[in-house]
Amino acid sequence: MKPALRVVIFVAALLPVLPSFGGARHFTFLYEANTSAPGSLELENWVTWRHAAGPGRFNQVDFRHELEYGITEKFQGNIYLADWFYRSDPEHSGSSYSDTAIELIYNLTNPVVDPIGLSIYGELRVGDRLIELESKLISQKNFGPLILAYNATLESVWEGSDLAEREGEFSQALGASYEISPRVSAGIELLHEFVFPEWRDTAKIRNFFVGPNVSYRHRNWFVTITALAQATDTQDEPDFQLRTIFGIGL
Amino acid sequence: MKKLSMLVVLGCLLVSCESTNYVPPVTSQMTTARKGQHVDFATLREGRTLLVHRCIECHTLPLLWRYSTKDWPGIVDSMSHRASLKPADREAIVAYILAVRSAEH
Repeated sequence: MKPALRVVIFVAALLPVLPSFGGARHFTFLYEANTSAPGSLELENWVTWRHAAGPGRFNQVDFRHELEYGITEKFQGNIYLADWFYRSDPEHSGSSYSDTAIELIYNLTNPVVDPIGLSIYGELRVGDRLIELESKLISQKNFGPLILAYNATLESVWEGSDLAEREGEFSQALGASYEISPRVSAGIELLHEFVFPEWRDTAKIRNFFVGPNVSYRHRNWFVTITALAQATDTQDEPDFQLRTIFGIGL
Repeated sequence: MKKLSMLVVLGCLLVSCESTNYVPPVTSQMTTARKGQHVDFATLREGRTLLVHRCIECHTLPLLWRYSTKDWPGIVDSMSHRASLKPADREAIVAYILAVRSAEH
């Protein structure tokens, strides 16, 4: 039996005995500090459309299928079963598998009762001629119906035929979400990226994106959408991105 | 000037939200706050912990006096499966909410 088929059968066998929902997202480009309840399992599907106009124009749609599992009250493990994309540009178009990843999140403090809610995040991503390590500090504070979140992320990427191409990236993201009703939230997200090809800052690549978000949750599912526009003028980066995350408790 | 005014308004809003204690710490007064009922301190503390961990996975916390004493058990019950709450967890959360409400009146 193929390993992939074994994993599918194992997950399918596990589903009926696992209760409930991992939680709803208020943001799509930021993580929140709280972790999933122990024993909860959730499937999230991410779709991100990136569009760039001008000489380097392209359209790319990224897909992610993720399982989130609450291990303890403060510890959560996630698996990206597959990241893949469809890309169309003037020279070619087609879809391709990108990578598979595992991420772990540990919650340190609570955003309601502590002065600030903090979590730490680690991710290992492996793909075809790709290894990526990512670490993140997640902070959040709830002011009644208002959620403020900030993420600082450091990424190291090795890619190419012998993993000789290196790149580093530091990014920070800031978000605010206001709960209009228990089911509906709306807010804003800002993303600021610093890219370091070969871990050097000679190219001075800085990208800044900003845009609104909206989230709807009901029973054991939620959907959150963010539209970001590039406020800088970096070539090869999308002028516009639209991300949708649909999550359902299993 | 306009930007400064907006910042001041935003600051005031945050301060007013923060000064409202949505989940007050458990006190010994709360254990006997409900007439004819005694709830132990540990249960109330567990209820508060579960409330601030599990409920915010999906939504922010409402003011506890927004809903009536009669409504709270049903409200918590309706979301208990989603929040992976066992019957004892559910009871602890309801006990904490009702104790806070009773202690404040």
